[in-house]
Amino acid sequence: MSEEKYDVLIVGASLAASAAAKRLVDAGLDVVALERKKLPRNKVCSGILSPRGHRFLIENFGPLPRDILHEPTSCRGVTFHFPSMISISMDFEGGPTPHLNRKFSDYWAVKSSGLNVHEETSFMGLEDDGKVVHVRAMRAGIELKYTARYVIGADGPKSRVRHSIYPDYMKSIPWFMVGQKFQRIIECPLDEDYFHFWFHPALGHYTWSHARNRRQIVGVGFPSGGNLHEYHRNVETYLRDKHGVKLEPAEELEGCAQNFGPSLINRYVFGKGNVLITGQAAGFFNMLAEGMSCALHSGAIAGEAVVGAIQRNRPVQEVYRRLITSEAKRCTDQWNPFRIIFGNPHEADFKAGMRKLSKREQLAVIRDIFRFMKIYAPYGWGRQILSQSLIRLVRNKYPSGRWL
Amino acid sequence: MHIPVFERGIIPPDPVAPDSLKGIPRQKTNPSRWQGDNWQDFVRDLQSRGVTVCEGRADCSVFMTDAGGVAYSLPHGVVRPNSAEDISKVLRAAQAHRVPVTTRGGGLTTEGESVAFGGLLLDMSSMNRVLEINSDAMTVRTQAGIFWHQLAEILRRDNLDYLSAPLNLTASVGGTLGVGGIDVNSPRLGCSADQAVVLQVVTPTGDIVNCSERENPDLMERVLFGYGQFGVITEATLKIRKFTPITIQYFYYSSLRTAIEDLQFIAREDASDYSGILTILDRAITLLVAFDSDEREREFNTRWKRSLRGHGEAGFGLRMAGHYTMHPWRIKEAAYIIGRRFKLFPEFWRPEFMHHGKIIDRTVVFSRAVWKFWGGPQMVIPDLSSKAEKFVEAVERGNAVCRKYFRHYTLYCVGIKLRGRLPRYEMSCIPPDASDIAYGCEFEPMLRGTNYSRDYLQSFKNEIYDIGVDMGLSYYRFGGMMKGYIRRAMGDELVDKHLAMKKAADPAMVLNAEVIF
Ligand SMILES: Cc1cc2nc3c(=O)[nH]c(=O)nc-3n(C[C@H](O)[C@H](O)[C@H](O)COP(=O)(O)OP(=O)(O)OC[C@H]3O[C@@H](n4cnc5c(N)ncnc54)[C@H](O)[C@@H]3O)c2cc1C
Ligand SMILES: Cc1cc2nc3c(=O)[nH]c(=O)nc-3n(C[C@H](O)[C@H](O)[C@H](O)COP(=O)(O)OP(=O)(O)OC[C@H]3O[C@@H](n4cnc5c(N)ncnc54)[C@H](O)[C@@H]3O)c2cc1C
Repeated sequence: MSEEKYDVLIVGASLAASAAAKRLVDAGLDVVALERKKLPRNKVCSGILSPRGHRFLIENFGPLPRDILHEPTSCRGVTFHFPSMISISMDFEGGPTPHLNRKFSDYWAVKSSGLNVHEETSFMGLEDDGKVVHVRAMRAGIELKYTARYVIGADGPKSRVRHSIYPDYMKSIPWFMVGQKFQRIIECPLDEDYFHFWFHPALGHYTWSHARNRRQIVGVGFPSGGNLHEYHRNVETYLRDKHGVKLEPAEELEGCAQNFGPSLINRYVFGKGNVLITGQAAGFFNMLAEGMSCALHSGAIAGEAVVGAIQRNRPVQEVYRRLITSEAKRCTDQWNPFRIIFGNPHEADFKAGMRKLSKREQLAVIRDIFRFMKIYAPYGWGRQILSQSLIRLVRNKYPSGRWL
Repeated sequence: MHIPVFERGIIPPDPVAPDSLKGIPRQKTNPSRWQGDNWQDFVRDLQSRGVTVCEGRADCSVFMTDAGGVAYSLPHGVVRPNSAEDISKVLRAAQAHRVPVTTRGGGLTTEGESVAFGGLLLDMSSMNRVLEINSDAMTVRTQAGIFWHQLAEILRRDNLDYLSAPLNLTASVGGTLGVGGIDVNSPRLGCSADQAVVLQVVTPTGDIVNCSERENPDLMERVLFGYGQFGVITEATLKIRKFTPITIQYFYYSSLRTAIEDLQFIAREDASDYSGILTILDRAITLLVAFDSDEREREFNTRWKRSLRGHGEAGFGLRMAGHYTMHPWRIKEAAYIIGRRFKLFPEFWRPEFMHHGKIIDRTVVFSRAVWKFWGGPQMVIPDLSSKAEKFVEAVERGNAVCRKYFRHYTLYCVGIKLRGRLPRYEMSCIPPDASDIAYGCEFEPMLRGTNYSRDYLQSFKNEIYDIGVDMGLSYYRFGGMMKGYIRRAMGDELVDKHLAMKKAADPAMVLNAEVIF
């Protein structure tokens, strides 16, 4: 069997991949991506891109075409709802931000990066002999072989690339299920310019709703093994009773598994030898499950690291781990209580929202947030977040020794 | 799905929301690599006309990035021209085959302006001969690919010198005339671009044209400060002067504002021949003044020195000692200042560059220090330029941004004498509202031994550039042209006016087209 040879092979053809490809293709390297699905492919996502991510897309891929947006085309900010029936709306700093249709936005980004994609080709495994990486893949039941000097795993939460170098990793972290149903609207008082999020321990670990293409999305996240329909029914009833949201029965449903957690506790996975892991596969996840901007930025850094390693003849892991420090810091800061209280690590101002409330309401909100956080207690993140935050305070960075 | 392609300079309406990303133009600022359509035909065409195109990976890889080290790309091929005729052939063929051409002198830009995103790279360093020295008219005629230090060496044989040039050794004459060129004597003598008397230019359509303030003045005004948009400079006739060794004096400050006010005072009163500010920390600031002659120095000592509020080294050392005794937790800062003082300052009086207590080669002395202490694979030097009145505020705001991003950084401030309001200053490093003397400040983090991602450095630069937009300033252009900012800072009307001129001069938009538009 013949082997195809490349400078860099990327697994996945999504946002992290397109950002990495942009850097690599621009530098004149020979790059290929393997994508399991046929493009353009669907991706479960709320599609709300932060202003920083929006700017990244424009600067690197050009003005956004209308075709890559859903209706409403933008999202003005986020509204938090609390069990005490207090709501806080926050606008994004830097103006409304795009509501991406991931099917087409990802395709557009990939095409604009100049990336050569082998579609419907699943990555199966790899071997890094120190000089080159041998990759096995499958297309239409046929096994294919590739070799590349570097491999970038940009294959999302259940990353098979990550699995091939750290076979036990999947078992070592908690997994969550997120699911969303699409329902026609009978009556919906929730402001359609905002993304709505509920801090309610009885509803789920992550509960949200927003408008898309004249339907309402109601979504919920919970520990793997739970029953989506039960969780969803519960949320739907709550929205109807407490917020007057009346919806037709669901027309469509989608869901997937999520590796939520590594960015909170500074436990990223960046790879080994000539294999780099990036995007959500590496554990990047901002507050409110905003994963696209950090996928784009971390992907670009992976691309830069390869270019830098080639140009300066340095080991790629060394270059990548140094360059990624700022992005890891930025992402983990989003969960750092000191940064949240004394700074503003987010792209919307929660504290300004709080200041508009009366003292009594503020106390109620703080109490509600603490009660909500208790449902995460079984994961033992609290102490780790605190210790990482203290180290950040003293050393102005998070320890890289915790990264894989 | 159809992927739309937008014509250069056209910014379509925003489908997200009219107020999304407040005011940031929806423009791709990291260009894609050109895909190579017609490349082979173009190469054959040139070869048949006797121009060699080097296409080897090694030939091209040398030009993968510029001094900024954040933009990376590869040309498809490189031409090292021997004459204006070679360049004319290149540009005629480029128009016909629509192949992008990037001119490169020393490659000291920092935003990728001299990086070829595919297409042809014109390596001007092959055109580096001095053609004629005229010591009556006090001018030199030289090929434009020459580096300033080569030019200085040749002039020195006749005890002559250029007027002003960038402090880095490997900037070329052509590249510098295209961006401005600022020296520590610019508060007196102006930009390097203003020293040019006559230019030979190859226009984007391949015509070889001479221009000066009398002959083809419009072209002259477009090419100077023109970022290579309106032609390739192949020859320049520049003003020169008698060579003189210099003496330097230093004054130390703990307040940026005071130091800047004194710098402006010196520039306004023409009290010294050279002046500039260089910080170690924002509480340890050096104001440097230098003189071409003993008379000028004597006059400074008797007339102006008393009015300056800076301290001598001993006095400043004592004050700092006092400060850090009261703030012992900042001891690391004190150690840094002392370390810097003992490493950096002796560079300015190394015996091999001194003669009878005077510096005999200021360019080498300054340039060596620049590379030795600030140099690295990534030169991050965003800057701001402003009229005198707004300068203190601009520097103080930029300083706050530096503090946020980096532990150690240097600010470098200098004045720039203007020659009235010439058309060449439009959309240039000269701020639109400045008269007489403008001021520039460069914000330079110390990156040695550290590593930051491109986006981290870009966010830092953006925050500095945002100050420019907010305060209506321009950019001194050490840092480069910042495509994403040009519309925000200069306004659509002005940029569109220049775009129209560019399209008229370069119908296929092939020459250095990624730099501004
Ligand atoms: C319900 C939900 C809502 C979300 N809402 C938001 C939001 O509003 N805003 C936001 O910013 N983020 C949101 N996110 C997160 C965001 O979708 C992800 O963080 C982001 O897509 C990660 O990008 P990535 O490029 O790292 O990976 P992915 O987008 O997951 O892409 C991985 C790619 O790799 C391919 N692939 C996987 N395995 C293989 C294989 N073996 N071989 C070949 N190809 C393979 C996949 O098909 C896919 O194309 C949401 C996520 C979910 C689940
Ligand atoms: C360490 C360092 C120190 C610096 N110090 C100073 C300083 O003290 N003062 C200062 O002013 N600047 C300084 N700069 C900025 C730099 O000197 C200017 O950008 C420089 O003058 C560019 O000259 P170059 O030959 O390197 O041009 P390049 O970087 O090669 O090109 C600059 C621009 O001009 C175009 N160009 C190049 N040659 C020609 C030509 N012959 N005809 C037409 N267009 C052309 C290019 O396409 C590009 O757009 C410094 C930069 C660095 C990295």
